[in-house]
Amino acid sequence: MGRGRLSRLLAVAANTFRETVRERVLYNLVFFAILMTLSGLLLGQLSIRQDEKIIKDVGLAAMEFFGILIAIFIGVGLVSKEVERRSIYPLLAKPLGRGEFFLGKFLGLSFTLLVNVGLMTVGLGLTLLATGRPADPSLLDAVYPIYLGLLLVVALAMMFSSITSSALATVFTVGVVIAGRYSDVIRNMREVAPGAPAWLTQLLYYALPNFRHFDFKDRVAYGDPVPAAALAWVTLYGLSYVAFALVIGLLAFRARDFQ
Amino acid sequence: METPLVLKTVGLSKSYKVGHIWQRSRPALHGLDLEVRRGEVFGYLGPNGSGKTTTLKLLMGLLHPDAGEIQVLGRPWSDPAWRHRVGYLPEHPYLYDYLTAQEYLDYVGRLFGMTARDRAERGRALLERVALTRVAAVPMRRFSKGMLQRAGIAQALVNDPEFLVLDEPMSGLDPVGRRLVRDLILDLKAAGKTVLFSTHILPDAETLCDRVAVLRGGRLMDVGPLSQILKLDVSHMEVLAAGLDATSLEAPGLRLRQRLGERWRLEVEERSLGGVVRAVEAAGGRILSVQPIRQSLEDYFLKELGGEGSGPWGGED
Repeated sequence: MGRGRLSRLLAVAANTFRETVRERVLYNLVFFAILMTLSGLLLGQLSIRQDEKIIKDVGLAAMEFFGILIAIFIGVGLVSKEVERRSIYPLLAKPLGRGEFFLGKFLGLSFTLLVNVGLMTVGLGLTLLATGRPADPSLLDAVYPIYLGLLLVVALAMMFSSITSSALATVFTVGVVIAGRYSDVIRNMREVAPGAPAWLTQLLYYALPNFRHFDFKDRVAYGDPVPAAALAWVTLYGLSYVAFALVIGLLAFRARDFQ
Repeated sequence: METPLVLKTVGLSKSYKVGHIWQRSRPALHGLDLEVRRGEVFGYLGPNGSGKTTTLKLLMGLLHPDAGEIQVLGRPWSDPAWRHRVGYLPEHPYLYDYLTAQEYLDYVGRLFGMTARDRAERGRALLERVALTRVAAVPMRRFSKGMLQRAGIAQALVNDPEFLVLDEPMSGLDPVGRRLVRDLILDLKAAGKTVLFSTHILPDAETLCDRVAVLRGGRLMDVGPLSQILKLDVSHMEVLAAGLDATSLEAPGLRLRQRLGERWRLEVEERSLGGVVRAVEAAGGRILSVQPIRQSLEDYFLKELGGEGSGPWGGED
């Protein structure tokens, strides 16, 4: 990638980050802080081992939940809002390729999510410290796959929003995320619905990203170690899907007419 | 030596898909052949839906053409190098409202690969040029329509372009803003730049343009200097007279009387001119001037295009 191209891509990413900050996306951290404080106060009554697990559980689940909300709703609007408001018009007349714009938007929101997840991780660690537990570094073994999953949700949201309207893109992205959380149900669907064609359930199972692969929360909460190979595999798995979704989204975005 | 071209289109065509289930094609531009020469101010005129904005979007890559070729600054359209030398103002620009004008210009400067120092200097100079210095640090969500339009013009000038494409640059501007943009266009011309702009404000086109192109229904109707397009109507003469009350003036061939303060503007048939002049003098008046009637752009539009769309020189297309 040439220096000029990288510099334009980073300019778009930096502006996207600034946009999300100014549009108060990071305000979700306030809710997270309140949740963590309440968790710390309320769970102090439980046994030491239980409260540590529950705080970790609640913290990691909240991190994932808020992250998914941001990834879907901001991700869908990243490009479509620019097109609907026509703010993209003067930019694409500049020496800015559509690919640079598209990937810059992805990088910008990815950085916002990184900051968000990072600050929440710090918040979770502080909550553990405040309740007399050590800030367990193995939390990162669960946080990292959560972040990878969020990148995939952003890529899917951008892909769908390049193909269809914002409303439908939101529905499709939510649908894929939910279906991806319960892909085991899809695989075993024939047990409850014997009439479902086998090829269809197999196709859906293998085509949809399995979001369970990004879930290491229980392992970490129970203090079970996460092998490096498992993290490497989920990295490869997640980034492959991210790349696929971005390529499809980019091809659709390149072909679009801005009427 | 012939003046070099900054824009050349050959057979440029575009149609839009309409309808959701049974899509059909609605032609928007038919085989446009257009040439814009270096250093000229070129007006792009036409009623609503005539294809003006479609053409400009095709030039800027916001739409993909169905057919045809575009060359910008001597380079094929597909070569992105020309984009460093061109500025573009879209119609009704929406600029990021969470940014200040200063920040927006800085962002645009980064897209052109300018250094931080150059961006800061250029941004300051442009905001001063479009009279936005006072609100340089105010988020653009608090800007009026006219201020946004001026900020849009500033972003089109960040790279000091050789060729400027402006879609309805006077839209949303008050008289002071229009004057500012008119002066800016004339300054750019004086500096050797080329300006192509679409407008529905015909007096601006008359004041500014070296040449104009007139579109109708996606087809090029006329192109050339205004003096060539706006023909002289030699069958009628305009007489300016003073020192009389022409309300009751009667003379054969007198088709219009119009009071202009102390003076009267009379339109008469050329063959009846002598009789009207004598009638004015008999009524105690004096003749100030006599000249053939020159068609205005407004006359041209009304006559040639017959009031298409919501008005002969309406807004969107």
